[in-house]
This record gives sequence, structure tokens and C-alpha cells, in this order.
Amino acid sequence: MADIFIVKWILAFSPILTVLVLMIFFNWSGSRAGAAGWFVALIAATLVFGAHPKLLAYSQVKGALLSLNVLYIIWAALLLYNVVNETGAIKVIGMGIQRFSGDKSIQIIIFGWIFASFLQGVAGYGVPIAVVAPLLVGLGFSPVVAVAVPAIGHSWSVTFGSMGASFQALMAVSGLESSYLAPWSATLLGIAAYLCGIFAVYVFGGWKMVKHSLIAILIVGSAMAGTQYALAVSGMWTLGGFGASLVGLAAGLAVAKLKIYNQTSPSPSHMEMGLWWALSAYLILIAIVSAGVMIPSIKAFLGQVKLTVNFPEIISLRGWVTKAGTGKGINVFGHGGALLLYSSIVSYCVYLSKGFYKPQALKAILQKTVQSGVPTSLGIVSMVCFAMIMDHCQMIYILAEGISRVFGSLYPMISPWIGLLGAFMTGSNTNSNVVFGVLQQETAQLAGLSAALILAAQTTGGALGSMIAPAKILVGCSTVGLSGKEGPVLKATLRYGLLITGIIGIITIVASFIT
Amino acid sequence: MENFLKKHGTRLKTAALILMLFIPFLLYAAASFGSLFQVKLMLVMMGANMLYVMIKG
Repeated sequence: MADIFIVKWILAFSPILTVLVLMIFFNWSGSRAGAAGWFVALIAATLVFGAHPKLLAYSQVKGALLSLNVLYIIWAALLLYNVVNETGAIKVIGMGIQRFSGDKSIQIIIFGWIFASFLQGVAGYGVPIAVVAPLLVGLGFSPVVAVAVPAIGHSWSVTFGSMGASFQALMAVSGLESSYLAPWSATLLGIAAYLCGIFAVYVFGGWKMVKHSLIAILIVGSAMAGTQYALAVSGMWTLGGFGASLVGLAAGLAVAKLKIYNQTSPSPSHMEMGLWWALSAYLILIAIVSAGVMIPSIKAFLGQVKLTVNFPEIISLRGWVTKAGTGKGINVFGHGGALLLYSSIVSYCVYLSKGFYKPQALKAILQKTVQSGVPTSLGIVSMVCFAMIMDHCQMIYILAEGISRVFGSLYPMISPWIGLLGAFMTGSNTNSNVVFGVLQQETAQLAGLSAALILAAQTTGGALGSMIAPAKILVGCSTVGLSGKEGPVLKATLRYGLLITGIIGIITIVASFIT
Repeated sequence: MENFLKKHGTRLKTAALILMLFIPFLLYAAASFGSLFQVKLMLVMMGANMLYVMIKG
């Protein structure tokens, strides 16, 4: 019986393994590897896990809906980036920050850790990597480092970012209150904040640079982790990521004034465009997103049109039941992508009125957006679609069950890994919490463990999974000209993502002894 | 053939993306009407599209 389970587990793992091997060892692009993973998932699901045509049909529609939600953000983020970049503003921002602080570690901390976390707080869904990566390239960092740093730096803030969408999903599937779940979640994510800061710096400059920037990491990390904890436990978890990174930004700018970080003279430079004009698109973004998310009347007005699809109960030939319900709806005018789109349009008009564009700029903006958006989107859709096949055929559940069976009493150490797996598969902490939240809760209760601690580990692992999710890496790579060459970035983030998750696992098991 | 694929690479990839997002909704319609033949046909189309992406994506 156990032998059969092992075989099933290996087969359930085969699509993920296919993607990893093809991307890391054969340097396949995300879109090609995703399509290969789709075929492997389809074959395994049909031959072993009881998939039938109707199940495959409904799972693919759910995949398409989920993909559209993600692509809405990605295309709008790419458009905003090209609207800004076409004016030369990205270069100006890079020079401006260099003028503010010539210290590379401070630049990494401010952009790759704090600003990326802030963008996660207000937008999410890959926006932090898509926006920060080209800024870091503008500062002179290599494209691989430029994508890897924000990917690592922002991931701690995913759960309480995007207005707490992932935390809300965790509460919804577990039926538990925020007052019960928030303390442990904020604690583990707070620890992850320090670790993300350390490894974001490490990926560029090694331990020498970590040592140099330790004071900055401790001050900024404490500011962000402390603020997040205070907001989460006081019931304002929707502002957890946003508020924490705002306080972090203030702390970061203050730290940059310290003598030890002011020893490198910034290079003198002449800028045709003022820094504030260059930053204006992002200030517009902050204003529009904040208004669209935080002002109830605007949020309600924009949220009036929502596209949803109803699905019947789906039962696989092996008896695995997927409950009836609506798929992931698309809030057409209030979606994060819509807010980014408004920001792009307003920013374009502002830059155009100031005469920052050359003739034919609009055509160039649209062409560049399509050129980088298509390969990225192909990878995302194929991966989300095969994840949906796996979800509807019990394959993801079998993966999680296998991990918990093997590790038995060490389960608390493994729970963040299950969250990580879900986020890797679907590119989303929210989806990971939806898929694995109940499994983790039930396992915790059976083992007599604190459900709050195990679910905190689940969502922390899910948040950290953002840094290794191919869907997000693809987004970042597309903005720095690395489309089709995502392998080296994934290799870098995978190493640190697994290491941080391992540390969180050890902290979770230690905490399980004292709760 | 190779020249054609090279020349129209971006357009073909865009078409593949549109199909990847559009075929599932045809699948939904076919599955809702209970037409097994149409569901299978759409799945074959989806597979062919994925094959193109895997080779040329």
C-alpha cells in the first residue's frame, strides 16, 4: 500500500519536477517548460489520478480565469513601466538615488527590500519585481541580480500585502478569526522580513556586504516587522504590508544618513528631467491605488462590474470531489490591474503634456509592452492551467499528504514547505492558502498542535514561495530583457527561498514545543 | 516553413496566447451543454496549442 502511495506521490510531483529540471538544467524558457509541465500533468492526471474530459474542461476554465486575474496586473504593470521608461525616467531615478546614497547596500535595501515591499503592500501579483527590477538595472546592477533582489526582498510582505488578500483567504478557508491567527502569522512573517533583507543584500554582495549593512537591516527590519505586528494584532491587518513598508521607508532614508553609509561619494551627474518628474508616475500610482483600495465609496463605485463563472461539483474517476462554486472573479474596473492601467494613462498624459516623449512614443510603448508581455503570459497561463489540473485530481493534496506522512512528528517543520509548494505551483500565496489551508489545519488538530502556529507557517511559506514562483520570476525577467533566460534567476532565488523556508521551519518546530 | 515561423514568430505567439485563454471558455460551453465530442475536440486543440508553445514558445 505504501509502495503504491510513493509511486502516486512521484507521479503527482512529476509536472513540477519537469518544470524545474527544464528551466534550471536545460535553460528552457518559462513558457516552454510550463507547456511541457502541462502535458506531463495531463498524462499523469488521465492515466493515474482519474481525470476525465469534463474535469479537464472545467479545470482549464478555472485556470484561464485565474490567469486573467494575474495577466491583468502584469500587462498593466508592463505598460506603466514602458510609459515611464520611454521618457528616460528610469535612468533619472537611478541617478537620483545614486546621488542620495552612493552605497550599493543601501540602494539594495531601499529599492530591493523596502520599496518592493511597499509595492507588494499596495499592488502585489508580481508588480514589485516588475517595477523594481528595471530600476536596479538603471542603478547598474546586473539583470539577474536586479530580478533576484526584489523577488527575495518583497516576499515577507505578501501575506499582509495586497490589502491582506492572502490573510483573508486563510481566515476564510479555516473559519478562524484574525485575532487568533494574526499574532503567530505576524511573528513568523516578521522574522522572515529580517531574513529576506539579509539575503537580498547577500545575493549581491555576499557576507561582507551583509556585515556592512547589518545595522541598516536591523533598524529597518525592526521597524517593518514591529509595525506589521502592531497593525495585524490590532485588527488592521489589511494595512499590515502597506503600513510596515511605509514606516520601513522612513527608517531606510534615515539610516542612509548614517556616517558608515555615506562614505562612498555619489557620482556627479546631470539630469535633463527632475527627479520628482521622473518619480511622478509612481506617485500617481500610489495615489490612485491608495484611493481605489482604501476609500470605501471609490472602491464600491469601481467594484460594480464583476465577471464570474459558475462551476458544478466535479468528481474525478478516483472519487476526489471539487466543490461547486464560482471561479476567481474579475473585478473589471476595481482590479489591481485596472488601477495600474489608470495610473499608466494619467502618467502618459502628464509626461506628454510636459513634452518628455519623442514622436511615435505611444507606438513604441505599446510594441514593447506586447513584446515582453506575450512570452511571460504564455508561461503563466500554461503553469496555472497545469496547477488546476493537479488541484482537481488530488495531485496537490497527495503531495502535501506525502510530506506530512514522511515527517510525522516533525510536521511543524514541514508546514511552511507545503505553503511554499502551493505558491510555487500557482504563483500566489492566496491560492496556496486556499489549496492547503484546510489540510494544514486538520493535520495540526489531529497532531494536537496549535492551528494558529501551523497556519502561520503555511502562509509564511506561501509568502516566501513568491520569490521562487516561476510566474513571478517570468514577470521580472520580462522587464529587464531576460525573457526566455529565467533559469539563472530561478536558480538564485530557489537557493535562498529554500534556505529561508528551512529556517522558518526550524523556528516553527521550536515554537510548537512551547505552545 | 521555418522562415515563416521566424518571420511571424511574435504574431504566432500572440495568437497562441489568445487561443490559450479563449479555448477554455469554449471548453466550458461544451462541457455545460454535455457535448463530450466537442469537449474532446477542444482539448485536442488546447493540446496542439500547448505543443506549439512547447516547441516555439
